[in-house]
Amino acid sequence: MKLIPNFNSPRALRIIFAISIFILLFISSVSYKHNRDMQNSSKSMMHTYEINIQLERLLSFVKDAETGQRGYIITQNSRFLAPYLFSRDKVNRSFIALKKLMADNPKQQKNLKNLFDLIIQRYTYLEGSLKYSNEKTYDKRKLDNCMFGGRIVMENIRFQIDEMNDVEKDILQKRQKIYQSEISLTPLFSISLFLVALTLILLSYRQISNDIDRLRVSNKKLLISTKLMAESEVIGAFSTWQWDLDTNKMVYSDNQFRLLGYPPNAFVPEKDTFLNFVHPGDKRTFSNLMQGIIDNKQLPIIYYKVIRKNGEIRHFKSIGKLLIDEQGSKIILGITFDITEEHFQNIAIYERNKELEKSNKELASFNHVASHDLQEPLRKIQTFISRISDKDKDSLSESGKEYITKIGTSAKRMRILIDDLLLFSRTNTTKKEFLKTNLNDLLKKAEQELSEILLEKDATITSEMLPKLKVIPYQIEQLFINLISNSLKYSQPNVLPEITISCTKVAAAAFPNLLEQSIKKYYKITFTDNGMGFDPQFKETIFVLFQRLHSKTEYPGTGIGLAICKKIVENHNGSIIADSTPNKGSIFTIFLPE
Amino acid sequence: MQKSALHILLADDDEDDRLFFKDAFEEVKIQTKVQFAHDGMELMEHLMHPDTILPDILFLDLNMPKKTGKECLIEIKKTDHLKHLIIAIYSTSSSEEDIEDTFIQGANIYIKKPSNFNALKKIINEVVTLNWHYHTSGLNRDTFLLRLK
Amino acid sequence: MHALKLPLILLPSIILFSKIILFIFSNIFYTMKLFIKFDINTVCSLFLKEKLGERQVNYTPLGFGEIELDKNLTAEELESMKNDLEPLGLEIVENQKSVLVQKIKDAIIEMVFMDENGNNLKSSVYLAEKLNHSYGYLSNIFSEVTYSSIENFIILQKIERAKQLIIINELSLTEIAFLLNYSSVAHLSTQFKNTTGITPSAFQRIIKKRRENLK
Repeated sequence: MKLIPNFNSPRALRIIFAISIFILLFISSVSYKHNRDMQNSSKSMMHTYEINIQLERLLSFVKDAETGQRGYIITQNSRFLAPYLFSRDKVNRSFIALKKLMADNPKQQKNLKNLFDLIIQRYTYLEGSLKYSNEKTYDKRKLDNCMFGGRIVMENIRFQIDEMNDVEKDILQKRQKIYQSEISLTPLFSISLFLVALTLILLSYRQISNDIDRLRVSNKKLLISTKLMAESEVIGAFSTWQWDLDTNKMVYSDNQFRLLGYPPNAFVPEKDTFLNFVHPGDKRTFSNLMQGIIDNKQLPIIYYKVIRKNGEIRHFKSIGKLLIDEQGSKIILGITFDITEEHFQNIAIYERNKELEKSNKELASFNHVASHDLQEPLRKIQTFISRISDKDKDSLSESGKEYITKIGTSAKRMRILIDDLLLFSRTNTTKKEFLKTNLNDLLKKAEQELSEILLEKDATITSEMLPKLKVIPYQIEQLFINLISNSLKYSQPNVLPEITISCTKVAAAAFPNLLEQSIKKYYKITFTDNGMGFDPQFKETIFVLFQRLHSKTEYPGTGIGLAICKKIVENHNGSIIADSTPNKGSIFTIFLPE
Repeated sequence: MQKSALHILLADDDEDDRLFFKDAFEEVKIQTKVQFAHDGMELMEHLMHPDTILPDILFLDLNMPKKTGKECLIEIKKTDHLKHLIIAIYSTSSSEEDIEDTFIQGANIYIKKPSNFNALKKIINEVVTLNWHYHTSGLNRDTFLLRLK
Repeated sequence: MHALKLPLILLPSIILFSKIILFIFSNIFYTMKLFIKFDINTVCSLFLKEKLGERQVNYTPLGFGEIELDKNLTAEELESMKNDLEPLGLEIVENQKSVLVQKIKDAIIEMVFMDENGNNLKSSVYLAEKLNHSYGYLSNIFSEVTYSSIENFIILQKIERAKQLIIINELSLTEIAFLLNYSSVAHLSTQFKNTTGITPSAFQRIIKKRRENLK
């Protein structure tokens, strides 16, 4: 049983969300890294520029010192020496700065050391040229040496600086290149990921909104059906309940409370709450049954009484069914009916039925006994008559003999009447044992029974194949006997009796006024004779008990035979009709259910 | 054929029926001794008495006061020294249930009381003759069933 | 050789005898009742032995109710023996007709029950050959003694056989009809019903229920 309609798998939605979030996280981490890279890159650029500037400055300081020295040599004015003096200090500071800047690069440090050496050399030459240019210590050769050496060292310094600048530029370029390569892919990737995430989110949004729509619709339906259920529970006097076997939680429908005489949700039901309402007489069975539910996980139909809040005793009927939901928890779903009215009606019907049965039985036994007890004296009358007419016939007067004959005839007629009446009452009272029987066999038996009269009247019976049906065999045989003997009895003088029996299968719907419609198919068996027939206006009355169309002197009979036929056919849930054309023949049609 | 008289016992509460029965036997060629019991109780007392000469055929009416024929039949069939009696039910009833039931309970013959004296004589003759055949010709009494209308 | 047939109708004497015993017992024990079971054959042969022994007549028993004497008796002797046996309920059947009837019966029973081919033969031919008399003669004697015809007796025996076979319940009614030389089941059924008043199936049902009843 499916409890919840499938709202496109929340699991899929969850996965979509997880993917989207992952993508977004990824994108942000990428852009974070990107930013850092950019920062790093600009930092390294700055670094290079700084080194560059510092190196230029260093060179300019050295140049300053050179310019000062030159000025001094030319002018011999010591004022020009000031830049030279300051430059040493500046160079030193610049060095320290450079050393710091290049701390991460051993190659540059080496270069820096070379530069430093060169600068020291330069300063040595500067000092020397200053020394040898002084009037006091002037030495032209040495001065030239120093000047010339200074120049070469200067060239070397410049070269060294250029080299160092180149190294930095190289590093910068390399970094720039990596950065470029990194930065060139990132935006496309990010954007595409972003688009994917967006699509997914949009899709899931659509899904969710769809689900929400459907949820709303089914919610509405659910609401309606819940209302309907609640209403039908009230109207139908029944209620539903759920019993979660795992948690032992009970849920009552509103009407369950009402059935117990409480307003809805008047109390919180527990497992054993209901037992308190059960009638003391039924408590044991009921609690056994509850245990049975726990043990067997099912509740067969149970009938019991409860006592309502106001003390009223009601008759209930409950059934339950085990339901295992998707999570595997076991819930007994139950329905409880208030069948009090039904119960009392049933009792009333049962009693009435019993009464009816009793009176029927009494009537039947009255019939039986009456005809039975009537037979006793009649038999004696007949026996005494036979004794008189055997033994004392000769001593009787003529009229006496005649009277005796008349008494005999009357007694005989009474006997036939009683016999037929007995037969009629027996068609009602004896065991109705339905057996699958071949009707052809029964017809044959009937013919055997009537063989004497058939022979005497030289009658012919032609029959189509009859079916095998579930019937009371001896009754159907009786039916055939009665119908055939009826035809023989009312045959036309000087015409050999012919009886034709035909059989077809018909739908009940074709005879709506005649046949019980709950049975679909009937066998229609017709008995057609060439007898004297009867006035069709009597076609119904001939089946009535004791109804006769002829005087009894003309055609002896009791008027019971066809009534018996009708009774037998009715016993089989069938129907019998008759029709006739006077002096042509009659048709008796019987319908027997398939 | 039979030199000593055939013992017949009829249990029937109806005086007229006993009379017809007696008359009929008198007119039958066979030498018989017919005795009567007036109801079921009397019948059983008679049969249980040690001095009683058991009848060759017991005719038993079903509808009797105090003890019905059917009760007598069941009792007889339960009594060791009586259960081999040839029993002919002699009743007004022609109900198939009565007939089959009494046969099942052990009756040998079922006679529907006729309404004609000659018919009664014919029936009695037939019963006695057949009984004699059973007596003398080694026929199995356990399967001796006869229904007369 | 003189064969005498003695249908021993000694029931009265047996009853008398048992009554005497009972009388003695009831006098001794007052209210005690005893049921005596007796074997007619034994009692009968005892009496015979006693009576014939007195007369010094040797005999061979030939079965129930028939003895063979080793010498011919004179009419006088026979008469005196008759008088001797009568008070005991033993009666000498002089009637040769009765003997013949018994033989006819035996032959019929043999024909119906034992001789498998017997049922295929015409019974009149069979009996005439077997008993060495014309069928007309046999028929006359039989009717005279038994008040019923040979035909009736044959039917009775055939139905008796049919009953046996139905009870054994090994053969179908068709097979039984064939075995007993009936032209059809219907013929057998009709004869069964005419003879017993009930149909073969009702017979079978009754016997079956009767046996269940006894259990």
